[in-house]
Amino acid sequence: MQATKSFERAFLRQLLRVFRLSAVSYKSMSLQERKSAIKLSADVAMASARGSRKWTRGLIAKLSEEDEHRSFLRLILGTEYERLTKPCHGSWKIPRSKKIVRRSLRVCSRRKNNLRAPHGFKSSVLARTLVEKRTHALKRLVPGGESLDGYSLLDEALDYVISLRAQADLMQKLLTTFEASKLSALSKCTLPERKASFVGK
Amino acid sequence: MGPARCSGVGSGNSGAYTTEIAESLRFEEEIHSIVHPSLDSSPAAGGSFTALLGLPANQAVELLHETGPSEAPGSAAAPSPTGELWRLRLGEHAAGPLHLPLGCSPTFPSNAALVERAARFSVFAAEDSPALSSGGGPSPRLKAEPLDSDSPPLLPIPTEKTQRPAKRKECEKSKAKGPAKKSKSAEENTAAAAKETAAENTDGEKLPYVHVRARRGQATDSHSLAERARREKINARMKLLQELVPGCSKITGTALVLDEIINHVQSLQRQVEFLSMRLAAVNPRIDFGGLDSFLSAECGPLATANGRGGVALDPALWSSHPVTANGARWLPQPQIRHVDVWPTQQSSTAWTRDGPAHPHALLNPGASLVGYDPASSVLLNSNQLKTEL
Repeated sequence: MQATKSFERAFLRQLLRVFRLSAVSYKSMSLQERKSAIKLSADVAMASARGSRKWTRGLIAKLSEEDEHRSFLRLILGTEYERLTKPCHGSWKIPRSKKIVRRSLRVCSRRKNNLRAPHGFKSSVLARTLVEKRTHALKRLVPGGESLDGYSLLDEALDYVISLRAQADLMQKLLTTFEASKLSALSKCTLPERKASFVGK
Repeated sequence: MGPARCSGVGSGNSGAYTTEIAESLRFEEEIHSIVHPSLDSSPAAGGSFTALLGLPANQAVELLHETGPSEAPGSAAAPSPTGELWRLRLGEHAAGPLHLPLGCSPTFPSNAALVERAARFSVFAAEDSPALSSGGGPSPRLKAEPLDSDSPPLLPIPTEKTQRPAKRKECEKSKAKGPAKKSKSAEENTAAAAKETAAENTDGEKLPYVHVRARRGQATDSHSLAERARREKINARMKLLQELVPGCSKITGTALVLDEIINHVQSLQRQVEFLSMRLAAVNPRIDFGGLDSFLSAECGPLATANGRGGVALDPALWSSHPVTANGARWLPQPQIRHVDVWPTQQSSTAWTRDGPAHPHALLNPGASLVGYDPASSVLLNSNQLKTEL
């Protein structure tokens, strides 16, 4: 499966718009600053092109943790910014009471051990811890994933992977386009006779 | 950006220049079409970003309309970007175009779950059942259920294959209590004689009751049923993710699949970082603000040059491969004068090497690029204020 063309177009449009809005400050930046500005622009464009999903909200919340980014985001997103950041905080953990959690875990484990045939070495426990570790790692990777349960985590991860792939594809294409334009400009300058021959043909 | 890009392996360097040239040209045309809206509906003069900024909605609708006919078989009808993100390729299952039911909400999970279940059981829920009954991908796995006879008043449809999805549609339309049945594979049928599991309704449908029949040999209390339903949902999502991540379909076991997914996400994030670094390296020659004039100035002669067969230039320009899962594939690009960006001193020397040789070609477009509009000047003012403080 791959991203739809409408998403890619919206993404490209947003990206070009963001680049234009932030173009003035590019001239005096170092390479690292430009790189982080470009990455920020790409992320914002991706999030705004996708619309309202849990991971987009988490991403925007994470990006607006720094004040300078926040004004930038508000400029780009406009009215959507307030709508996108209001209900869902980036790293909000579901408030859980320890006593209740402990009690429910005890009940659940007891029921599980009684239902299945109890045997000495509980391989299911091992499998469960492995899966839990990976689930936690995935929660940290997907923006806004800390407060999601298993099913919606997988859902958001699916969406996020597709968008990331589309983002990487888009940036790759942009890169080749720019480099091609640059090379053509260079070749135009240094080899006017080659260009004349091209035009002649 | 066609179906060829779905496979992560790029074509070899030797023989695929024409397709890549066409692709890159198409991409540039796309940028042009975005940058120069040549539609008559735009009030402002076409060809400037302010026009683009002024009507994003119009633009989106126009662009979607012009891509609509080519995409109609593959995407849902929702014109908003929050609707369809992806389309699923069901080569072996689909007999024809994929029609998603209109009753389904256009949000992502319900579409995906419905499509995925439809793929699994080769029954597509269509708006009009005659279209389906003509050839909706009949599969040998479907078996006639003897219990279908208890709900004849629901629909007067002759074939049993169409009865199931139409029944589901009727259920979601009438919102009444009703047996929501799901067809099973033949092997399961033979194992559990006349029993069938309930169709676990998608998240978008809101039925008050779900009548479930337990499979043979499984517990029937509500907790285990709910657990089983939840596990099936999670397994469906895992299957989709397995299809998405390349090389994951052979792996069995949740932990390993999750491993692969995590690796894939990390590699994609790293790729985006690399690409942004390279774009930043390209940037000092190109001012993003004046993108439209720059592209139109430089891409005209480029387009003509490509047709002439300047072989020396082409391998350098168009040797890009689609971004794949393996992070290493996109790095080796034999481009003229392109050095690795990582050693920053090296890259800076590369630029300075080129700098004095070709100042005027790029500065001339650079002079015309500087367009200050109120938005960017506001940004500049805020930056200045911050530095003053």
